[in-house]
Amino acid sequence: MTVGQYAIKRFLTIVPVLVGVSLIVFGFIHLIPGDPAVTMLGERATPERVAEIRTQLGLDRPLYVQYLIYVGKIVRGDLGASILRGDPVLHDLAKRFPATVELALSAITVAVLIGVPMGIVAAVWRNSLFDALSRLIALTGVSMPIFWLGLMLAWVFGVVLGLLPTGFRLNTSVTIVPVTNLFLVDSLLAGDGEAFAAAARHLVLPAVALSTIPMAVIARMTRASLLEILSQDYIRTAESKGLPQRAVILRHAMRNALLPVMTVTGLQIGRLLAGAILTETIFSWPGIGLWIFEAIQARDYPIVQGATLFIATIFVLVNLLTDLLYAVVDPRIRYD
Amino acid sequence: MWTRRIPMLLLLGCALLVGGPAFAGQSTFIFGAQGEPVDLDPAIITDGISSRITRQIYEGLVKYKGATTEVGPALAEKWEVNKEGTVWTFHLRKGVKFHDGTPFDAAAVVWNFDRWKNTKHPQHENIKKAGKSFDYYGNQFNGFDDKSIITKVEAVNPQTVRITLKAPQGPFLSNLGMFVFDLASPKAVEKHGLAFTKNPVGTGPYKFVEWKVGQEVILEANKDYWDKAHAPKLQRVVIRNIKDSSQRLAALKAGEIHGMEGLNPDDVKVVKNDPKLQIILRPTNTTGYLAFNYKVKEFQDGRVRQAIAHAINKKGIVDALFGGTGMVATQFQPPSLWGYNKELKDYEYNPERAKQLLRDAGFSGGLKEITWDDGKKEPLPFWYMPVSRPYYPNPKEIAEAMAADLAKVGIQVKLQTTDWAVYLDKRKNGQLPLYMLGWTGDNGDPDNFVCYFFCKPGDSPEGFYANPKLSDVLLTAQQMTDQKKRAELYRKAEQMIHDDVARIFIANNQPPLAFQKNVKGYVANPTGSEHFNTVYFE
Repeated sequence: MTVGQYAIKRFLTIVPVLVGVSLIVFGFIHLIPGDPAVTMLGERATPERVAEIRTQLGLDRPLYVQYLIYVGKIVRGDLGASILRGDPVLHDLAKRFPATVELALSAITVAVLIGVPMGIVAAVWRNSLFDALSRLIALTGVSMPIFWLGLMLAWVFGVVLGLLPTGFRLNTSVTIVPVTNLFLVDSLLAGDGEAFAAAARHLVLPAVALSTIPMAVIARMTRASLLEILSQDYIRTAESKGLPQRAVILRHAMRNALLPVMTVTGLQIGRLLAGAILTETIFSWPGIGLWIFEAIQARDYPIVQGATLFIATIFVLVNLLTDLLYAVVDPRIRYD
Repeated sequence: MWTRRIPMLLLLGCALLVGGPAFAGQSTFIFGAQGEPVDLDPAIITDGISSRITRQIYEGLVKYKGATTEVGPALAEKWEVNKEGTVWTFHLRKGVKFHDGTPFDAAAVVWNFDRWKNTKHPQHENIKKAGKSFDYYGNQFNGFDDKSIITKVEAVNPQTVRITLKAPQGPFLSNLGMFVFDLASPKAVEKHGLAFTKNPVGTGPYKFVEWKVGQEVILEANKDYWDKAHAPKLQRVVIRNIKDSSQRLAALKAGEIHGMEGLNPDDVKVVKNDPKLQIILRPTNTTGYLAFNYKVKEFQDGRVRQAIAHAINKKGIVDALFGGTGMVATQFQPPSLWGYNKELKDYEYNPERAKQLLRDAGFSGGLKEITWDDGKKEPLPFWYMPVSRPYYPNPKEIAEAMAADLAKVGIQVKLQTTDWAVYLDKRKNGQLPLYMLGWTGDNGDPDNFVCYFFCKPGDSPEGFYANPKLSDVLLTAQQMTDQKKRAELYRKAEQMIHDDVARIFIANNQPPLAFQKNVKGYVANPTGSEHFNTVYFE
């Protein structure tokens, strides 16, 4: 099987996954106890308004009809409209996704830049103090609650030291003309150094907070994978040829050790693109995470459903992409 | 190899840090709101986050004065009402323009009322089709079209509007002061259609500039504002969406914003201890209560209800669980309302008296079980809501405190809660035997508090409480326009509710707002209608 055929086959397996997701997403609204219309309206719910919302959500129809209508709309690219504001979900998604992309990519960059070297050093000087320290950092990174870390970062660097903003994408006095809606890119395109610095400063804390888990995962994977490679024969051969250790590790061992690291990094990117609800909420980062959080609180079901479906799709696609990248990086891999 | 790059990375990091805190100039007032506005068309919104913004852009015929719910002139300079209380004549201010340059006149007022009331109006129909509605118009004026209490709105001349009602409505002026009845530019609504909710045009002190989705709404001073004495003191106003309350406080402490709402009860102390910050309490407009279901036999006995009133240590609860912003409630209306009964003497905290009352009622062994009127028995549940409300900031802790108080006099309750929607549903259907709930006033009129709950005797949402004498008093007051006479009736109604221990009122909460110390001129209003044009920096 060629890579192309494999890609098509893998692509087709996505379909049942997405149908499953659509069923779960559709089921949401019916699984949550209580009448969704009443939840949305609260103390002031009048019977007329409850009836209106029910009609609007299509809750007055048989379940299978509701599902078919729902799927029919999705296929046509219609994710519905927000109950609260009436804006099409897809439109809002497009507006908010760039903020999430910018944050996710920054976080993964931080994670890779710190995680990979940390893993390498830990593997090379196995069982050293540094190894223990890096394993401790990795463990802390995975287990520390992000909301706590986020608040502490904002408190220490924003409030106490006054070095970085406590949240947001930009201060009010700076304007960036939107092109890609990635502020770092847009400010560079406009050649506006001041705006670039402002956007970068706002990115630091949320990106660091968000990077902890992927960083820990990447560091652990790099260490484990490199340790395994370092015990192989060809490495001994390289060493016995008298190559300097740096060349052995970076040129010979790393090329193979990085393969599983790439997989976990890919998975982490998928996870981060899915929107970091906690990080975005704590730092008022206007991406899809904050959007979903607000929609859940307001019981704005079309947004919750649409966003979940989108996230699942992104996740599946990023996984697929990671799989396919294998072939490019490692010619030994055959697909059958 | 890569180690040589580390100093460079450090340098870059330092460069990023040197920018200093994100202070905006002192001509910009930045306010931290609890979330994103829903819409910026006052006629269709119901939430405080949106109305905080629309109140800067729009004005109504009348408005609430300063920190009170008393109604004073705004776009109407003065008004008269006929003897029957059915015809109101408003004299409009001259020379006022909407932000789009069109004149504010009687025709514009008539157009706005027509849009709210007439379901066939194109700018009403399209809103309904988009799944939104003119909720408050329907609520305050008894429905739409022919059902509405407002029968006719006419332009007598460009400066005079006459509104005719089917029957007198006591809260009419208070209703008109609500943010929903602020007036929009007819031309702008027609031009933008549905998109008007994102392109607001009014006559207010601030003009709309931009709504950055998920981030902030930016307004700028209206240089042509008609009220020169209250012309905006600051050039720009920015209302930022900061969902997380801890981050909002961090932003305030870091000097990134100048004011905020939605402070956690626990954070009040933090602000009070910070010499750079100040707290402003919004005069209370909320009441949290404990309600009985009258289909429960035990609660049909007034002595049992009174025993519960004596058993609960309201002051203890307010002091411990409201972050210093609560007040003990003695009646349904909060003290800021003009129908409040100052003479009313509350049931004092007295466990001994409570025990005695229970013994008198035949429960010398305490009360653990209730009997529904169809004979079904169950252990006595005590329902609390699963979400924080303005009137009960932390319902679970408050419920636990009340349950502990009740246990001291021999009333054993089982604390219970459920999903918020289910809670409201159960309450609506009269299925909760003993439950916590509350109310936040809309317009400062006592009718909006007392009548809303006690005008339909025997109604299931109110636990089937039936007191026709009470509803008669309230309905009479609703039909009168003389405030003095009305106030007398509301005071009487509060006394009746008290004497019957119809419900137990626990606390009024004063929502705290936090500001930088140099922010002056912010006037907190019970209805949340707060105008930024008076705000300045010292």
